[in-house]
Amino acid sequence: MDETRKQVDVLFEALREHAKELSCLYKVEEILKDYDSNLEDVLNAIIKAIPPGWQYPGHCRARIIYQGREYHSADFSATEWVLTNDIRIRDRTVGVIEVYYTEEKPQEDEGPFLKEEVKLVRTIAERLGDYIQHKRLRKMIQGVESTVDGDEPEKTCRWHVVVDLSRRMDRDLFQRITRKMLNYLCWNGIEEANALLRKISSDRISDLEELADGSNRPQRRSGADILTFSTEIFNIADRSLPDDEILACVEKWMQEDRASFLIKTLVNLNSSLGDVTDALHRFRHLAPEGLELSDSILKGLKVSLIRKIITDQLDYIKVAKNYVEIDDFYAVLKRLIYPTSSHGQVGGKSAGLFLAWQIIKRYQGYDEELQDIRIPKTWCITSDGLHNFMHYNNMEDVTEQKYKDIGIVRQEYPHIIQLFKNSRFTPEIIQGLSMALDDLGETPIIVRSSSLLEDRFGASFSGKYKSLFLANQGSKKERLQALMDAIAEVYSSTFGSDPIEYRTERGLIDFKEEMGIIIQEVVGTRIGKYFMPTFAGVAFSNNEFCWSPRIKREDGLIRLVPGLGTRAVDRLSDDYPILIAPGQPSLRVNVTFDEIIRYSPNKMDVINLETNNFETVDIKEFLSEYGEEMPAVTQLISRIEDSTIRPPSPMELDFRRDELVVTFEGLIAGTPFIPQVNKVLKILQENLGTPVDIEFASDGRNFYLLQCRPQSFAPDSAPAQIPKDIPESELVFTANKYISNGHVPDITHIVYVDPAKYSEVEDHSTLKEVSGAVGCLNKLLPKRQFILMGPGRWGSRGDIKLGVSVTYSDISNCSVLIEIARQKGNYVPDLSFGTHFFQDLVETSIRYLPLYPDDRDIVFNERFLTGSRNILADILPEYAHLDQVVRVIDVPEVSNGKVLKVYMNADLDEAIGVISFPESVPEASVRKRTYTQPRNSDDHWRWRLNMAERIAETMDPDLFGVKAYYVFGSTKNGTAGPGSDIDILLHFSGTGDQRDALMQWLDGWSMCLDEMNYLRTGYRSNGLLDVHLVTDQDIREQSSFAVKINAVTDAAREIPLKRSN
Amino acid sequence: MADKSFNAFAMAQAQFDNIADLLELDTATRELLRNPLREYTFLIPVRMDDGRVKVFRGFRVQHNDARGPGKGGIRFHPAETIDTVRALSMWMTWKCAVVDIPLGGSKGGVICDPHNLSVHEQERLCRGWVRQLAQVIGPLRDVPAPDVMTSSQHMLWMLDEYEAIRGARFPGLITGKPVGMGGSLGRTEATGFGVVFTLREALKELGIRPGDTIASVQGFGNVARYAIRLYNQIGGKVICVSCCDQKDETSYCFRQKDGIDLDELLDITDRFGGIDKQKASGLGYEILPGEAWIEQDVDILIPAALENQITAENAPRISKRVKVIVEGANGPTTPEADRIIDERNIFLIPDFLANAGGVTCSYFEQVQSNTNLYWEKDEVLGKLDVKMTSAYLAVSQLAHRKKLFMRDAAYVIAVNRVAQACKDRGWV
Repeated sequence: MDETRKQVDVLFEALREHAKELSCLYKVEEILKDYDSNLEDVLNAIIKAIPPGWQYPGHCRARIIYQGREYHSADFSATEWVLTNDIRIRDRTVGVIEVYYTEEKPQEDEGPFLKEEVKLVRTIAERLGDYIQHKRLRKMIQGVESTVDGDEPEKTCRWHVVVDLSRRMDRDLFQRITRKMLNYLCWNGIEEANALLRKISSDRISDLEELADGSNRPQRRSGADILTFSTEIFNIADRSLPDDEILACVEKWMQEDRASFLIKTLVNLNSSLGDVTDALHRFRHLAPEGLELSDSILKGLKVSLIRKIITDQLDYIKVAKNYVEIDDFYAVLKRLIYPTSSHGQVGGKSAGLFLAWQIIKRYQGYDEELQDIRIPKTWCITSDGLHNFMHYNNMEDVTEQKYKDIGIVRQEYPHIIQLFKNSRFTPEIIQGLSMALDDLGETPIIVRSSSLLEDRFGASFSGKYKSLFLANQGSKKERLQALMDAIAEVYSSTFGSDPIEYRTERGLIDFKEEMGIIIQEVVGTRIGKYFMPTFAGVAFSNNEFCWSPRIKREDGLIRLVPGLGTRAVDRLSDDYPILIAPGQPSLRVNVTFDEIIRYSPNKMDVINLETNNFETVDIKEFLSEYGEEMPAVTQLISRIEDSTIRPPSPMELDFRRDELVVTFEGLIAGTPFIPQVNKVLKILQENLGTPVDIEFASDGRNFYLLQCRPQSFAPDSAPAQIPKDIPESELVFTANKYISNGHVPDITHIVYVDPAKYSEVEDHSTLKEVSGAVGCLNKLLPKRQFILMGPGRWGSRGDIKLGVSVTYSDISNCSVLIEIARQKGNYVPDLSFGTHFFQDLVETSIRYLPLYPDDRDIVFNERFLTGSRNILADILPEYAHLDQVVRVIDVPEVSNGKVLKVYMNADLDEAIGVISFPESVPEASVRKRTYTQPRNSDDHWRWRLNMAERIAETMDPDLFGVKAYYVFGSTKNGTAGPGSDIDILLHFSGTGDQRDALMQWLDGWSMCLDEMNYLRTGYRSNGLLDVHLVTDQDIREQSSFAVKINAVTDAAREIPLKRSN
Repeated sequence: MADKSFNAFAMAQAQFDNIADLLELDTATRELLRNPLREYTFLIPVRMDDGRVKVFRGFRVQHNDARGPGKGGIRFHPAETIDTVRALSMWMTWKCAVVDIPLGGSKGGVICDPHNLSVHEQERLCRGWVRQLAQVIGPLRDVPAPDVMTSSQHMLWMLDEYEAIRGARFPGLITGKPVGMGGSLGRTEATGFGVVFTLREALKELGIRPGDTIASVQGFGNVARYAIRLYNQIGGKVICVSCCDQKDETSYCFRQKDGIDLDELLDITDRFGGIDKQKASGLGYEILPGEAWIEQDVDILIPAALENQITAENAPRISKRVKVIVEGANGPTTPEADRIIDERNIFLIPDFLANAGGVTCSYFEQVQSNTNLYWEKDEVLGKLDVKMTSAYLAVSQLAHRKKLFMRDAAYVIAVNRVAQACKDRGWV
């Protein structure tokens, strides 16, 4: 009981102290607000304001010493119980504040003083320093202005007054201005000034010489040199420059000088984001109305800020520096969450959106059409947040995940998600998230990754890392927990198999993965229990899906859906977004009544606020219930009346009865939306210097930009020359619809999933097995030398019957992905056009080709595809039972060494696949294929050396008459590439028969190794071994390859042979 | 490609030759009916949205207008050829003649792919087509209608252009207009109802009470739905219906031995005409493979979906109980299957008689437009009943009298009527 009361007392006391401090600080702030009062009065007022803030006000006295003068109360006397803090201006001590107790008090944190009091006096001193500096500058400026406003004094007075003031008020500033004036004069070619500069520097050189002499005389401060010449410098200026120019220069330099602390913080590599934030706030505090800085200084500041906060990518900075203002960074920092002493950046997605928004804002100034564009409230966690999180939970070893076998990665991934979800965030991050939630309120949010790897290096990680929607409803605690869960899950997606596979592929695996997080408000309205935007979608500068030859790539592409944009970003097999080419909005994909109805979206993604879930709802059902409430609904839907599709008149619309279909006709025809998107794409493309893709959403009123990033392309998208007059027997297929560009000359294997057999498969698990088999073949077959041909939609996620349900990692090594649309009854099924991993295909130069075998004038060599020997059972015995469905054809084997060549020409809209002889001897083509990146560059020689040792182990030297065994060349030197051979040198001293037997034996090895190497790397030659025999005589004469033995340089390496005992 | 379309016209001519032999037509009549009376091929320059001009090729083939103004659709098709249009115009002549409506046969088209044209360009193309033909079409000369890749919108543009040229309103120029803009009520029901009108008459002749029959229907589109509705009204029970499943890209049959409930099924049907399997199953329907409709133990089969559905391969699986096949779809039976059906003595009501309800309704639209007096739906359907019934009776009586297969009888009647008209006019 007593104990409790004591605790309460202590707590109460602490609170009371805190209140006292605060009121003291307020009082000081109050005093310092007034810049017009006399400085003496201000200092005296502060003396009085200080004691009430201390623990024992009655016995507390304060003194300020400033410029040699003391300010204190009448009854002041110095004692030994004192707390002091310097008053500093521009890192120069100009005075001191002291707080005394007049009698001894109990021991606290620092002598008799509380640690809060120590902090308090420091704060007051800092504020006083700022105040005095500001006041000085004001005085200076007023001085200038008064002379200007005055009764026309001599013009020369103006800059004289300013310079003079600075000389008296701030010697450091004066010194810097003087120096700058001298430089300026020199730049302007004033001879006098140059002479003076030479003089000053020669003085300095002599100083240096003295130093070099080892003299330990104190060095004269070079600043002092300048100051001694100041009068002279300004006299030269007076003589050689017009007064206006001098004044302008001096004023500019003084302004710039005020920003110097910010520059210092920014250039300092060690300053953390916290430091930057502080400096930026101080900068703003100094001059809320903005400083008039020179363009170069401003640009420098902006570049440094971009580098610190946004990204250090040069391409980005090059553009961004022209569009951002210092003010824009406050907005970013205000919504930035970062670990203590963070050096992180916001990551790719945030950076992209930030820049796009700055560009659009600029255009909004004078473009009516862009007025209603917005971006949603966006919070970011910096990229080092992931590391911070893992470190805090001691999970550093998870990083090694990326070096494990992809199969293991896949297996372990679910555990990693759990591990991440059960880990904790650091307090400062939690605090930041809590602030974010307060700012965002109870509106649904989306948590997305914003990785530093994302959207750079021409690599698009679209869809590889997670994005999670949160309803964000309920108590603050619940919302915070849900948010942290989501972030942990997004973090864990770094270690999923798809991103790791993708990074390995792009050579980015060793790049330290840092992932920023975006927490973004979801645009939309609450309708009933649901929340969603009226519509959303993605738009691309370049249209890679041209459905009409009249649509050019630069006409762009919009994928539009009602509700959340997820259905526009991801492709789902059972639904369709509305596609529009913004450059040619009147050329529609679907033109007939049936097509329009068939290919309209019929489902919609929404957030259910009651269950806190992301849901997919049926549009028809949704409209009949909530149609009236949906904002701008008439822009989305059309009414079907008597086999015509009409835009609805709002007065006749009956959501329960009418037959409605989503067409976006109202939006396209009746609003400036399409030209607006077109303009946004054009502006962004032009200013960013690259085609872009954007994500957007609309709540029925405004257009929100959600994301912007460069659109990626294959570098080799040149149209191929289509060979003519090929005999039909050599054709595997031809195509004449929806052809993109490309040329794949060396396909050795065809994986053919027989559409008819696939559709006959009845049970789901077998269909799944087909995907598994394709995934395995993807690993086994030579990379980029096999094609995948299959029915319908590759990567079908919804209905597996529509196509083989693969993910990107299951097809990542193929060179052409072919979808076959066989006519069924009187219709031809729709193909996916590779959209499940469209950008991946582009990125990795995997070509996509749709085949319509039942079209006229089309060759589809089914006999070759189903009649050639199927090697599936040979290479994947565990999938042998699928050999009716999955056929693997070794093209050279069944065609006497020929390969399959695919030529694609988008301009002609033609493609063919031809069986023909390789263009050149394999060795030569090996050199051409530079794009095959070995997984690990040192693997090749190591494997070769191991194999060479294997041969030595198994060789019977007595049987073959071999005396010694050497390797040399690239295998020995560790420089072997995937196509290198193995140079073997044998010291042979046997008979002719032995020699034949030896060569035959080695030949076997050579062929085997070639096959193995081929499966590993996709490189084929006629045998991998290059065997050289040397005889005793050769060695004696050092002829032929015998020179390699015991050579001084690049000697062959001996490998011990098995010896019969 | 060219070969194939040549075959279409050659096929039509061969078919005609057979009938002409039966009718013992004279050479001049054969010559006249074997080929179109008039053909127009012309160019349509169209100003494209980008300011350039593109020239399209258009056709209008008027096969025969001895019995009245030509009637036939306008096709927009990238692979359109004059031969396709010739064949189709000839078929229109027979189709109008078999239901005895006073119209001849025409067909038209433009070589184009609407997927490559904006809405405005399509409008200009339609208007251009009419400008080239304004002198040779008209409510009393040749009456176009929507067809492949053309819609009521295209018809209205064409009508508007024609009326602008003639300086007056001529709603009878064209059919397939929306209701309220000169269109006719009852169009949606017409084909399906027509199927059952002929079926009803057939049963009457066969001495079977509709109430004692059960049927199996392939398809669940417009034709099938209204056929089922009317068939139910005359007392029949459909026990099995097949439809395509959009998601599974395959078709299924839904069987209810006590008779399906049309409205119940419509409630669980998506906009592609697919019935929800799970819900149907919940309602007590058996879900069978798509092919199963043909093997049902029923009295009547109504193929009302696609062409080439009854083949030599599955025709033997038709139940012994089946007495009548009514072809709601176009060409659902292959010639080989025809022979099997004939041998088994199943009564077949051929497509161009059974599904002539559509063209009859178009005729009614034209009549209403010409008189500028529009009928109520009941009136339309009542008149349709009369037309279909008498058309059916004429065919079946001929078939009976001359021991002809129904399909041949229908052709004979059609060709004979046209030949007679030509003679009466003194052309031949």
